[in-house]
Amino acid sequence: MRRLDPWLLLSVLAISACAYLAQGSTARALAAPGFAHRQLVWLAVGVTLLLLVSFADYRVLARFSPLLYVVSIAVLLALFAIAPLRGGTRAWIAIGSYTVQPSEFARVVTILGVAALAEEYRQSRLNFAAVWRITAVVAAPALLVLLQPDLGMALTFVPVLLAALWLGGLRWRAWIAVVLGGAVFVAAAWMWFLKPYQRERVLTFADPQRAPYSSGYQQRQSKIAVGSGEITGKGLHSGTQSQLRFLPAQYTDFIFAVWAEETGFVGAAFLLAAYALLVVRIFVVALAARDRVGAVFAGCAGFVMSTAILINMGMVTGIAPTTGITLPLLSYGGSSVLATCITLGIVQSIWRLRFANV
Amino acid sequence: MLAIVAVGLVVVLLRLWVLQVVQGPRWRSAAENNRLRRIPLEAPRGMVKDVHGEVILDNRPAYQLLLFPEEMSDSVRTAAFLTRIGIAPADEVRARLEKAGRTSHLPSVIADNLAWSQVASIAAHRAEFHELEIHPATRRSLPPGATVAHLVGQLGEVSPEQLVENPNLRPGQLVGRSGLERAYQEVLGGIPGNLVVVVDALGKQVSALDEEPPVAGRPLGVTIDLALQREAVEGMAGQVGAVVALDPRDGAVRVLLSQPAFDPDLFAGHLEPARWQELTSDPLDPLHNRAMQALYPPGSTIKPLFAAGALRDGVRTLSDTVYCTGAVTIYGHPYRCWMAGGHGRMALEQAIEASCDTYFYYTARDAGIDRLASWARTFGFGTPTGIELGGENSGLVPDDAWSRRVRGQPWYGGETISVGIGQGPILVTPIQLAVAYAALVNGGDLVQPHLVPGRGGAPRPTGLPAEALAHVRRGMEMVVAGDRGTARRLGNLPVRLAGKTGTSQVMRKKEGVKWYELPWEQRHHALFVGYAPLDKPELLVCVVVEHGGDAASVAAPIAARILLRAFGPQVKPGEVAAAVPPIWQNTSLPPPPAPKGQTSGPGDTLPSAAAVEPARSSSHAAARPVAQPGRPMQEPPTQ
Repeated sequence: MRRLDPWLLLSVLAISACAYLAQGSTARALAAPGFAHRQLVWLAVGVTLLLLVSFADYRVLARFSPLLYVVSIAVLLALFAIAPLRGGTRAWIAIGSYTVQPSEFARVVTILGVAALAEEYRQSRLNFAAVWRITAVVAAPALLVLLQPDLGMALTFVPVLLAALWLGGLRWRAWIAVVLGGAVFVAAAWMWFLKPYQRERVLTFADPQRAPYSSGYQQRQSKIAVGSGEITGKGLHSGTQSQLRFLPAQYTDFIFAVWAEETGFVGAAFLLAAYALLVVRIFVVALAARDRVGAVFAGCAGFVMSTAILINMGMVTGIAPTTGITLPLLSYGGSSVLATCITLGIVQSIWRLRFANV
Repeated sequence: MLAIVAVGLVVVLLRLWVLQVVQGPRWRSAAENNRLRRIPLEAPRGMVKDVHGEVILDNRPAYQLLLFPEEMSDSVRTAAFLTRIGIAPADEVRARLEKAGRTSHLPSVIADNLAWSQVASIAAHRAEFHELEIHPATRRSLPPGATVAHLVGQLGEVSPEQLVENPNLRPGQLVGRSGLERAYQEVLGGIPGNLVVVVDALGKQVSALDEEPPVAGRPLGVTIDLALQREAVEGMAGQVGAVVALDPRDGAVRVLLSQPAFDPDLFAGHLEPARWQELTSDPLDPLHNRAMQALYPPGSTIKPLFAAGALRDGVRTLSDTVYCTGAVTIYGHPYRCWMAGGHGRMALEQAIEASCDTYFYYTARDAGIDRLASWARTFGFGTPTGIELGGENSGLVPDDAWSRRVRGQPWYGGETISVGIGQGPILVTPIQLAVAYAALVNGGDLVQPHLVPGRGGAPRPTGLPAEALAHVRRGMEMVVAGDRGTARRLGNLPVRLAGKTGTSQVMRKKEGVKWYELPWEQRHHALFVGYAPLDKPELLVCVVVEHGGDAASVAAPIAARILLRAFGPQVKPGEVAAAVPPIWQNTSLPPPPAPKGQTSGPGDTLPSAAAVEPARSSSHAAARPVAQPGRPMQEPPTQ
């Protein structure tokens, strides 16, 4: 236990506390007290899982990653057959009375797979074949998620790829190719894959007057919520924007707005600091890792989490478009909490074993 | 990578700082606007009572139909139902539902003034149409009806400019647009209240936060005497024109009538565009308040005023006489007196009594147009009288300067002669004429006519010598009492009256055609200004009947009725009124034609025409210059 990183644990506990309070507030607004309690249970289970995983050997997990990866792909494929259509996507399966979002776990496995792959190229810079292999490993689950269709979730696979290529060591000319390829892909996606409502969201972000009552409305209500919290906030359970339900999707995508409205700049900055500490510790682990697997895993995990945090908070404060990317640990959702905790458990394991000589 | 993330985190922190600390108060008020909604509470408007305490204007309960747009499941069905129970035609109903739907969560009024049967139908179908709600409200009611429509005026939705000027007004509120409703909006309007409620994102009311109760409008007592007003309406018998009666001592208005009037109930709530269209396209213009907005040539009613002016300025003395042969030639043009055979030798008082045109032709010639204009202005012509009701017309007092400015040519001397008998370009409103006569009979003070006691201000002395005024009044008494008086038919009433007739020309008179043989719109306007009691006048009545044809038999009896009502023998309950000579039931005259009805043309002969020639007709068409070959006649204005 003493070998674990206390700062990382501390930040997770701080964020969990904020999550419970914020979820309690929105549960009251939506008259669904069960939400807050369930989130608390997930967080407790998650932290337990984090500790358990941290005592496992991440190298063993990496060795099993091809198997885990194949299983993930299989599950993602199976979703098209067995998952019910919910909210327009086939992203969820029911296990007993719980619903599970397999793509959350598939992402952890993908990061692990990329890290294991990187181990093979530890001697040199990534060559062309390696880039293709890494891209394929990330793209396969990402495309399956995109077809569910769950654009927000699929987008969170992009930082995995970017971080893996970065950490693998890529020549700058290769980066140009990657950026160009990405641009071509985005253009193609815009033309053929994006649904009209998704295109509308991006356009609305660029010009909020375009649709003041749809996604522009959501973002405006979110900005009102955050801004009206002022320095010290309106007090827990007293945010008018959340309690009177002006805030959309307030227990998932816009949970940070609830927190910022009720606790003000003080609370929002505190939460931001907790996330910053968490992210910084993950990167410190990446730098301290004893091998390339650990470094790539922690680096990818840190970058994925950072982008999620930045994009979500940017969306809530009106400097990024509404993409449906949730805030790790704070947004409601058992799968997300558990997947995040497993990732952090592996990161702790990397930290614990950084000097191990076995 | 760490650097990129660090920059991102700093950007988010700065963004939070900007939103929450720098712009915080702004977003705070945006959040308050989100959750607080002000529901206006209508203030009941004040009532208006006449001088005896009789109600002129009041409120009555009425029912409004409210629509809650978000409760509406099937707008087509709702529209069909509302059309069926007669709320409005189908497209109108659809348009209103659409408009209401656009304001989303707030209920809006889609119908005013529901009939009982409609209230019952809606109540019976309450279970089917959750979106409809009957809301009790108030509506203006005028117990005397259209009689006081112009006096009371109209309500209308407040304009954006008014909203800026007066913070007590609310958008959509009804405020006075004309008449007393506008003049005394401050008194009658009250202050609307507010109910501040907290609403959620769906617009549902969560709780009431604060209530500011409305302040009801205050009651207003006016100088109008409804009994006299009704007498005026009966006397006018549906003819087009105006009646103004006032107390010549202080200008308190007792009667203010303009006919035709509009249905005041149309303006009691929100007016439908179709009805507005109908009103504004009526050729008789029922929205026009003729008592203070319509302009008429005063005709012979100007003679006493010019007589007083002539005496003051020494243009005439009491002993100056003129010999009237029935026609005179001035500036080389012939002018006729209305009395074809001539009046013979006339002095000032006699000239007023017999309304001798010749006397006043010469007076006009000797005075000149600028002096005539100054006399007219002395009596207040050319400027609004200042009555509280807005929209008054100033009238027109022509002189040389006016002619050069407006017509671009110098004044033509021949016109002076026409102005001398109240024809030509001189134009006055009925209320201006009443005020001018008040100055003649109250000792020479120009009073400001007013409807609320004490609002008249101090009278302005005209500086006319009392002696001159006494002679003019003597002449006006002779109009009724004298053997040659033009209104001598009023001479044997139980109340002694005085006054002056006036017939102002609309069209050139045709030789040998009686006025009642002309089509209605070609007949002369009939004017009469009368007053009583003679020694100390308390009531002065000015009557204008458009195209009435003849002053003595059409306008004078209306004024006489009103004066008789005010000063005649009071009938106690159970008593039988003393017989009054039926001056206004003159069977020897054809009935006044319906204003719009086609009357006979000049060539036609009325069946009774041969029999109805009034034996002692006092009908006197105002003289006008005979048309000159080569010089087009200037037609007197028709209003």
